[in-house]
Amino acid sequence: MRTGVIGLILSPTFPFLDMMWRICPALAVGCTVVVLVPPASPTPLLLAQLAGELGPFPGILNVISGPASLGPVLAAQPGVQKVAFCGAIEEGRALRRTLAGWVPELGLALGAESLLLLTEVADVDSAVEGIVDAAWSDRSPGGLRLLIQEAVWDETMRRLQERMGRLRCGHGLDGAVDMGARGAAARDLAQRYVSEAQSQGAQVFQAGSEPSDSPFFPPTLVSDLPPASPCTQAEVPWPLVVASPFRTAKEALAVANGTPRGGSASVWSERLGQALELAYGLQVGTVWINAHGLRDPAVPMGGCKESGSSWHGGQDGLYEYLRPSGTPAWIPYLSKTLNYDAFGLALPSTLPAGPETGPAPPYGLFVGGRFQAPGARSSRPIRDSQGSLQGYVAEGGAKDIRGAVEAAHQAAPGWMSQSPAARAALLWALAAALQRREPNLVSRLERHGVELKVAKAEVELSVKRLRAWGARVQAQGCALQVAELRGPVLRLREPLGVLAIVCPDEWPLLAFVSLLAPALAHGNTVVLVPSGACPIPALEVCQEMATLLPAGLVNVVTGDRDHLTRCLALHQDIQALWYFGSAQGSQFVEWASAGNLKPVWVNRGCPRAWDQEAEGAGPELGRRAARTKALWLPMGD
Amino acid sequence: ESISKQATEIWISKIQVNKPAVLRRAEQIQARRPVKKEWQAAWLLKAVTCIDLTTLSGDDTASNIQRLCYKAKYPIREDLLKALNMHDKGITTAAVCVYPARVCDAVRALKAAGCDIPVASVATGFPAAQTHLKTRLEEIRLAVEDGATEIDVVINRTLVLTGQWKALYDEIRQFRKACGEAHLKTILATGELGSLTNVYKASMIAMMAGSDFIKTSTGKETVNATFPVAIVMLRAIRDFFWKTGNKVGFKPAGGIRSAKDSLVWLSLIKEELGDEWMKPELFRIGASTLLADIERQIYHHVTGRYAAYHDLPMS
Repeated sequence: MRTGVIGLILSPTFPFLDMMWRICPALAVGCTVVVLVPPASPTPLLLAQLAGELGPFPGILNVISGPASLGPVLAAQPGVQKVAFCGAIEEGRALRRTLAGWVPELGLALGAESLLLLTEVADVDSAVEGIVDAAWSDRSPGGLRLLIQEAVWDETMRRLQERMGRLRCGHGLDGAVDMGARGAAARDLAQRYVSEAQSQGAQVFQAGSEPSDSPFFPPTLVSDLPPASPCTQAEVPWPLVVASPFRTAKEALAVANGTPRGGSASVWSERLGQALELAYGLQVGTVWINAHGLRDPAVPMGGCKESGSSWHGGQDGLYEYLRPSGTPAWIPYLSKTLNYDAFGLALPSTLPAGPETGPAPPYGLFVGGRFQAPGARSSRPIRDSQGSLQGYVAEGGAKDIRGAVEAAHQAAPGWMSQSPAARAALLWALAAALQRREPNLVSRLERHGVELKVAKAEVELSVKRLRAWGARVQAQGCALQVAELRGPVLRLREPLGVLAIVCPDEWPLLAFVSLLAPALAHGNTVVLVPSGACPIPALEVCQEMATLLPAGLVNVVTGDRDHLTRCLALHQDIQALWYFGSAQGSQFVEWASAGNLKPVWVNRGCPRAWDQEAEGAGPELGRRAARTKALWLPMGD
Repeated sequence: ESISKQATEIWISKIQVNKPAVLRRAEQIQARRPVKKEWQAAWLLKAVTCIDLTTLSGDDTASNIQRLCYKAKYPIREDLLKALNMHDKGITTAAVCVYPARVCDAVRALKAAGCDIPVASVATGFPAAQTHLKTRLEEIRLAVEDGATEIDVVINRTLVLTGQWKALYDEIRQFRKACGEAHLKTILATGELGSLTNVYKASMIAMMAGSDFIKTSTGKETVNATFPVAIVMLRAIRDFFWKTGNKVGFKPAGGIRSAKDSLVWLSLIKEELGDEWMKPELFRIGASTLLADIERQIYHHVTGRYAAYHDLPMS
């Protein structure tokens, strides 16, 4: 079902093609678009005029020319359901913070840097042409990080420098020219980077030289930049290429994945096995093998990590503008008085429950495959529906969250490399174990005030969901048909990594299982915060998981939900966060996700009908539990 | 010069050519460097001076050879050249290319026309090279005796397809010796070599064995001179130059019929190798009908009208 009105905010140096790639799918699924463009570009206004002449539907495409500060104003208009932003990383981060809590969902496509990995068994001349396409042409989105295997370093450098001598800068619309100019801001950015790199000890090679007042920046090659220098951490601006050596394929992956950006990359190698291994190992949204910069509307294009998580092209691009049918339109829930610095900071102190010590020893935290005592060495009481004490659960804090995330990361590589059949088998074993525990779980739920019939149904449905997600585990990838390419393009679905989930208070067992199952089925490791009022059914399930699942795969931390949410949302090494709690918490989560720009899914304080198939086990869960990677394999010999 | 066996193997074994990437570059080249107006006319005249005017048919006789040689001396009509102020710059084609049996006729016709451009002869079992080595070498010697100063030899594709690189090297060395002082062009017949990697390897072997030029094709294969193959060969020429300092020339032949194509070829040479290669000493185009199309383009540039077939002298 289509989303509604889309607002689109574009950066000052956006290419026209990028804009069309976002407008067309939105219009195709039935949304109307308002585009905010920087004042210096008249082309979108012309486009809007043409759209306005389309007979019966004059308002489907609207263009406003204005500064980026109008973005929040656009987002605040009633009826705007989604805002898509493409541009620089810092601006995206600022926008994420500003729009936390507002009605529209935010989709970010940030950064323009790409990566080129050149191994020693590559066709170096063709790779040099790939570098020219990637960084020194008008089609290239941004700068290039170049990783060259040491064995071919000299050869590549020589050919690159020779090739740079033949590039021509000039008027952008002249057909015989390779590169145009992109404005004073881009030129200054490039100049600043070059000066800084030189001061940090790098070698800078420019084929020609331009007078300092010319608007053109010549193609530039930067090498010998020390890996620890600040320039290597910053994004490479256009039209620069920063080259670094590597020794082995393993080192190449480590260096390539060692930045917060994860947009697109190409691997150059004539050995199929090596090329595929590198392609699968890179944490980016698009990988080309022995090519660079190929695009097609049928292939999704997006990123991960700080390149934002919004997609365009292909099926994933269409889903950006759709939401599950039956869900109501978003309503405003912004709380202007929310103090981000203070939210969840202080732990409310809980007094001991009274003279009785409780029916059983307190539950610990389930971290690293076993129950552990919390760092703060304190527990909180859990009361049943009559108010009498049911038990104690651990009071988890920041340290425990840190430990849980570490344990999840340790278990991640092993879980990701498990075959789908193995994952399915584990989920079914867990379902069987849950079924054996049914009487126990039903009695826990009853004490919490749930009717017997409903409690039984809840447990049964949880078991069914686990089995269903187990059955849906498959190596998810499909080959796409691309019109102008000879060779397959694979759309792979990869696990996100460590997924943090804050479970809702309603349906304490069912929601817990409904969120856990798709996350595990897609290869993620999980850190969960169970329902605040009734965490004990979840902890019972943990007792089963302790024997069945590998250590660290699932970690459950109980405690003050706001405090734990704060720790999770601010953690830089969590790849995604699902929050089902209060409206204020949702707002905080959106605001804090700007830290590492992790994709978040919040319920904005609205309860969800977990027992309904559409909301509790629908395809939306599966889509959000994994990320896409497009792998291009041009063929020919 | 003689290269040791190990060096040969080292140079040859590490070569990788990625065809889809080369195809992409070939497409780009055709669109990226258009030349217009008076610069186009100048480039077309440069292309004329690089043409090896060729006739390789079963029905060649002294009369059409004589006509060809005369056209080689006066490739563009006198008044058109005068209009461009190029009539006194000695614009002729680079050479005339014929079968070995017709070399005598060609030499006689050029002498009668008062022209000193070289006569190139094809040799070594042109076009298939499926004859004994002895007869192939004898063909070269006879052609040189008759007065050919350039020899276009064809390599033995069997050796390439069976990977006998050393044997190929030895054969081309023998051709080199048989040529003596004559200029050696080695035809790789790229349409029959199977893969771009083989094209690169064969180019390297031919250059190491002492060729003055490497040539893409005989003109008689199903696929002759295409841009992807040319890119690979030009890269081989450049690599050979970087390794040894020797400049080897390049000749595409077969399938080049339009003036526009010749401009693309020139810009390809300029992009990949540089300005030093854009001269007849290092670049030739093997063509026969190309000259007519270039002449018509120049006619159009000078007069603004399109010429009819009969407006321009036949070759």
